[in-house]
Amino acid sequence: MIGTRFLQSGAAVMGEVELSCRAYVKMYLHACLFPRCSVNGLLLSSSSAGGAVCVTDCVPLLHSHLSLAPVTQLALTQVDVWCSQTQQRIVGYYQANACASDCSPTQAAMKIADKIAEQFDGAVVLMLDGSKMSPDYRVPPIVMYERKDSRWMLKDKHTIMLRQWEETHGIAIQMLESGDHSLLVDFDSHLDDITRDWTNQKLNAKIAELASPANGNI
Amino acid sequence: MASVSEMYDVGWEEMRDKLRKWREDNCRNSEQIVDVGEELIGEHSAKLGDDIWIIYEQVMIAALDCSRDDLALTCLQELRKQFPDSHRVKRLSGMRLEALERYDEANKHYDAILQDDPTNTAARKRKISILKAQGKSPEAIRELNEYLEQFVGDQEAWHELSELYINEHDYGKAAFCLEELMMSNPHNHLYCEQYAEVKYTQGGLENLELSRKYFAQALRLNNRNMRALFGLYMSASHIAASPKVSAKVKKDNIKYSAWAANQINRAYKVSCDFFRKDLNALNPLI
Repeated sequence: MIGTRFLQSGAAVMGEVELSCRAYVKMYLHACLFPRCSVNGLLLSSSSAGGAVCVTDCVPLLHSHLSLAPVTQLALTQVDVWCSQTQQRIVGYYQANACASDCSPTQAAMKIADKIAEQFDGAVVLMLDGSKMSPDYRVPPIVMYERKDSRWMLKDKHTIMLRQWEETHGIAIQMLESGDHSLLVDFDSHLDDITRDWTNQKLNAKIAELASPANGNI
Repeated sequence: MASVSEMYDVGWEEMRDKLRKWREDNCRNSEQIVDVGEELIGEHSAKLGDDIWIIYEQVMIAALDCSRDDLALTCLQELRKQFPDSHRVKRLSGMRLEALERYDEANKHYDAILQDDPTNTAARKRKISILKAQGKSPEAIRELNEYLEQFVGDQEAWHELSELYINEHDYGKAAFCLEELMMSNPHNHLYCEQYAEVKYTQGGLENLELSRKYFAQALRLNNRNMRALFGLYMSASHIAASPKVSAKVKKDNIKYSAWAANQINRAYKVSCDFFRKDLNALNPLI
């Protein structure tokens, strides 16, 4: 069972990964926006290095040709630049496969993850489990991998923390049902129309609005 | 809940015309088709005349896409009543079974069609789709290759095959499929651009030069293709940076990449003043 207990602020424990509401909701909406495609994206953190890895945001990247190099390289570079301008860093990679019953990472996924791990030690790979994403599932549909001795290993569920899971889950479902997932812009969509914002400021604002004031920094 | 006609202030004729447009453009906006189609069938079926049958088919497929088996079954039953021995309707029955993941039964339907009519391409493609849905990519690829030996002009099949090869990281074979598509569709900028992306992914100097050429070709065909523009910039930059090229090739590629960078900057300047791109940061590209 993935840990859903409240964390004291500053309780930075080695090996733990914290997933924010904003990051989870956007990943979820990304997968829901393109249910017939494999989708992927990058996990970002605005926290300082050391202790727990706090995934505070994500950037949805592609929904087509995930294994082709040009757009992936371009996206990685652009996100990198944006991160350095906004005091964030790329700490991981997520993917949801088109085939809902298959949540194993692809070869291409691991290649990108390796690249990320070169720059960040505690990099993680997050796979969304398509078979567990419907509203009636009460458990986070997540499988995570981390690097140990140059190999990617399944991460212990107890070291994955989602603050306020019930509320996060509720926000994701609510936004899906009101059609807000159509507001999400991934890098692919940005290339189709460059006026669309892949940093998703509008969507971030909506998520923050829905999150309760008690949540603090989401 | 408000009806579609209330929400968008449209009459039944506009709804019918919208459905036709979506059919013609082969759009997969299934949620919309279900919303519009369900209302049209529910409230205005008498006015639709013979159009109703093709609308039943369109709505049924969209309903399967949205897990609306209730609606799909309603449409299917109407079609079965009207066209009791039709292969086309039998294929729809098969598709419903696929949606319910009853693949063995679905395959029986398609095999029955093919027994009767071995040239029925729709049934063969459904069988390949089942292999794909079951994650049996190598088998799907093999069957699709066999299909294409017989039906060598089927664009949709070539494209599907290229996608399957890309997913399996078999870029050489994906490139071959895209070459077939480019030959029969020389004005399609998307095929050029996809071919260029595959070549770029394969890597190596020769492939990079090919990729640059095809990104450029895609741009000639559609000068607003941003992927092609970025692709041209990146491939030319890589070639210019390679120690294996002659001074002339280096110089030429620096020119191409500078041109592309300029075009990219212009496009962003025009489109979004708050979202400036710092292209110098794109230089260390690997």
